[in-house]
Amino acid sequence: MESEEPTKQELSRRNFLSVVIAAIGSAITAILGIPAVAYLVGPALQAQTEEWTELGSVKKVETGTPTLFSITLQHQTGWVTSQEEVSAYVLTEDGQNYVALSNICSHLGCRVRWIPDQNQFICPCHNGIFNKDGTVVSGPPPRPMDRFPTKLDDKGNLFIKRG
Amino acid sequence: MVAKVSDWLNERLGWRAVWTAVFARQAPKVNWFYTLGSATLFVAISQIVTGILLTIYYVPTPDHAYDSVVYITAQVPFGWLIRGIHHWGASAMIVLCVLHLLRTFLYGAYKFPREMTWLTGVVLLLIVIGFGFTGYLLPWDQKAYFATTIGTEIANVVPIVGPYLLRIARGGQDISALTLARFFGVHIWVLPAALGLFIAVHIYLVIRNGISAPPQKDE
Repeated sequence: MESEEPTKQELSRRNFLSVVIAAIGSAITAILGIPAVAYLVGPALQAQTEEWTELGSVKKVETGTPTLFSITLQHQTGWVTSQEEVSAYVLTEDGQNYVALSNICSHLGCRVRWIPDQNQFICPCHNGIFNKDGTVVSGPPPRPMDRFPTKLDDKGNLFIKRG
Repeated sequence: MVAKVSDWLNERLGWRAVWTAVFARQAPKVNWFYTLGSATLFVAISQIVTGILLTIYYVPTPDHAYDSVVYITAQVPFGWLIRGIHHWGASAMIVLCVLHLLRTFLYGAYKFPREMTWLTGVVLLLIVIGFGFTGYLLPWDQKAYFATTIGTEIANVVPIVGPYLLRIARGGQDISALTLARFFGVHIWVLPAALGLFIAVHIYLVIRNGISAPPQKDE
């Protein structure tokens, strides 16, 4: 019986060390692993900034005629600054309420154009035709032109929210 | 259930014999200096993991390298940590390698039958120095640029072939986009492949030949 004592002790020492090594190993893995996951997914999951974008003064908008506003936005992607052209047709019927229509066709993303003679928007890619309020007249577009939420400040500048 | 799966796998893979050979092998009574090799291996693994993570954002071109490094350090969550571990780990690699080598030398552990363990270890030290040299350029800041200017200029003083060595190292007469790209390629492909190969041989030899006991007074 006595001879078994040391064996037992040795086993428990071995088990103790195994547990300690496993614990330290897990701790190191977690300390490195959790930041690694955050590092990998962090920039991808960054919240998209949904800010109001200023289009400009509504003075140039004539009642009943869609007017094109084009602005250039600076984008910061990682360490690269790029420019994006944002365009919207602004329409008002009463000089109070403004509608901002995206000039991107709801069909396949071509740019639609306002043709004053026909009083319609025309998409040159597949002959999509829209009314001045953006509703589909004919052609393949599955839904009306997209509308941006708008707001006016007290100086008469129009803002849109893109999303 | 776990034991069953473990037995099933062992019948087919024989991994318990491998485990025993690697982790439960006979070893003489040794001291803490014998942990330097394992410490080096641990830091090497850490360097591999953090290095792979850094390549997710780092771009090795003159117009993006510095900005991408700043982006990693300042913008990416824990980017400062990943880069910091890689940065300090690089120094730790050199220090640990040299200490490990000194221990082996001072204990006379390089002697028969372990000469090849020693020689592959020396090659591993050279590989680690190569990592340090090529990695130093990658942040593409002033320090990196001029350190590499000097480092490659040293090759220039070799008689006859010096100027050719300099051009081969730089990918041309001057330090340029080509230098950065080839240092990056060597740093993340050539040297890691060599490192993996030599670590495998080195550890195989350690397991095959065992480790030597510390020299005794009466020997």
